[in-house]
Amino acid sequence: MAKNLLGREIPDFIEGYGKTKLFQGAFALKPEGYRAGGKIRCVNSTCTDKRVSDIKAAIAASGLKSGMTVSFHHHLRNGDYIVNMVIDACAEMGIKNLTLFPTALFGVHKKLIEHIKNGVITRIMGSVNGPIGQLVSEGGMEVPVVLRSHGGRPRAVAAGDVHIDVAFIAAPTADKYGNICGTQGKSACGSLGYAFTDAQYADFVVAITDNLQPYPAAPISMSQLNVDIVVEVPSIGDPAGIVSGTTKVTRDPLRLLIAKYASELIEASPYFKEGISFQTGAGGIPLAVTAFMKEAMIKKGIKGSFGLGGITGYFVELLKEGLVERLMDVQSFDLEAVRSIGENPKHIEISADWYANPWNSGAAVNMLDVVILGATEVDVDFNANVNTEADGALLHGTGGHQDTAAGAKLTIIAQPLLRGRIPCVTDRVYSVTTPGEVVDAIVTEYGITINPKRKDLLDACSAVKGLPVVSMDELVSRAHKMSGPTDPVETEDRIIGVVEWRDGTVIDVVRQLKKK
Amino acid sequence: MNTAQAGTLESMDCLVTVSEAAPGTGVKIQIAGSSASRFRTAMEKKAAEVIASMGVKDIELSIQDNGALDIVLGARIEAAVKRLIGGGR
Repeated sequence: MAKNLLGREIPDFIEGYGKTKLFQGAFALKPEGYRAGGKIRCVNSTCTDKRVSDIKAAIAASGLKSGMTVSFHHHLRNGDYIVNMVIDACAEMGIKNLTLFPTALFGVHKKLIEHIKNGVITRIMGSVNGPIGQLVSEGGMEVPVVLRSHGGRPRAVAAGDVHIDVAFIAAPTADKYGNICGTQGKSACGSLGYAFTDAQYADFVVAITDNLQPYPAAPISMSQLNVDIVVEVPSIGDPAGIVSGTTKVTRDPLRLLIAKYASELIEASPYFKEGISFQTGAGGIPLAVTAFMKEAMIKKGIKGSFGLGGITGYFVELLKEGLVERLMDVQSFDLEAVRSIGENPKHIEISADWYANPWNSGAAVNMLDVVILGATEVDVDFNANVNTEADGALLHGTGGHQDTAAGAKLTIIAQPLLRGRIPCVTDRVYSVTTPGEVVDAIVTEYGITINPKRKDLLDACSAVKGLPVVSMDELVSRAHKMSGPTDPVETEDRIIGVVEWRDGTVIDVVRQLKKK
Repeated sequence: MNTAQAGTLESMDCLVTVSEAAPGTGVKIQIAGSSASRFRTAMEKKAAEVIASMGVKDIELSIQDNGALDIVLGARIEAAVKRLIGGGR
């Protein structure tokens, strides 16, 4: 057992995970060697049609066997039929002991619990939410779950930490030779960003579509170069769960106040100038920050260069109005975003590798000025936890939290001081996702709390009249006073989750909850 | 058996249900809900304090919590107990 840079106790070896590398700082570890790669394929003119009759035929053709790793992407979100369809078929074919390597899982995947219990899935590398997260937290899997960020995942694949045997790609449109796009068809989901790395590095790639078009399909987002088989099914997902309606700015006055403070912090910062780039995601507060920023940009006559990450209709509006020049989209959240990425060449589809991988020749997050994030809790050292809930259950994926925080010049965590009775600011977070060294400010309804290492920001805020600046000590004591003393989370020794920093070092581990 | 309630299941509130108990059975507190995992000790302490301050010795109290702060929890318990014993105290 050794302590990493943040004082977290990490065993040298974790059963089911292997030897650990200790987190040593956000930018400390440098890669060596060469990228890994998938199997070399050779397809000649004897094959002019890659279609097979059904999922089972595709699985059989892929050579998938017990003990292998299968990957999925989550652009169909809570409407996804693919994961359940493929794992059900594996179960019926007697394939067991699979490693599931999704970019994320949703409530719709709770059906997988039966396949975890019957041994079809024995390991998950990826976020676990809802009922699966609860099951894992209570010790329902033999092998710990490995959590990676949106950038850490493609890094792990390219670096050879994870080898994908078969990648299953949900394709809203495809042709018979495996050209795919996400913007057309009844199950259109927009960007296919997270799937690119899987297609490039897997030994075998299966595209599953419900909208087969004549060869060559156009537009093409992912090409025939990496797709081995195409399967046509009646439906790949439920449109109602794939895209949400228009995402709305919060109307809760408390959250609006927080958003206003965050926007004022951005305006006070040196980054609020012509060409500003930002990521705000789809949450209520961040979206409201964008709304306030928009007002300020119009007032001061400045325009942004690009919006990044998961894209909403709100960002599309900014693009249309010329308030940002480009959108770089790894995941299109709503109908407006899906429509825009299909029509507007300034709305660019980017892969997760391009978006956030720390080990390539430069990810998009590096070009980011400002990111607004949330967290379940932040501590006095500005370490943020997004993975576990207050009761210690592992219920959330890392998403782009680590990557954008590491890349952006100004990383803001904006949220109410309390959620219910549970304080969001604490002495020591239960589990670390993102280290304080890359978090610049916390914004709550009580004001702006700046990381002391950012003296420049502190000075910039102090120069603005009426901007409430609250020290971390003050904030944490206020949280204590309101919430009262907390009982500790009671755990077993066994590790059920390994939280990797984006470079593959272990930033924290999550332990099994004690039975109540 | 007489029971009374106070509170709601809105966020940052709680629903408190109190029932009469036979003399000598003491104070029984049941807690469930969102804060229970991390604030059970604090909630039990607050509940016991309020009940003692009202001079009640035997009572069954059930808290369905949705993130109430102590000040809310105390007020809801007080209201529920007053409703049970007919107010006036």
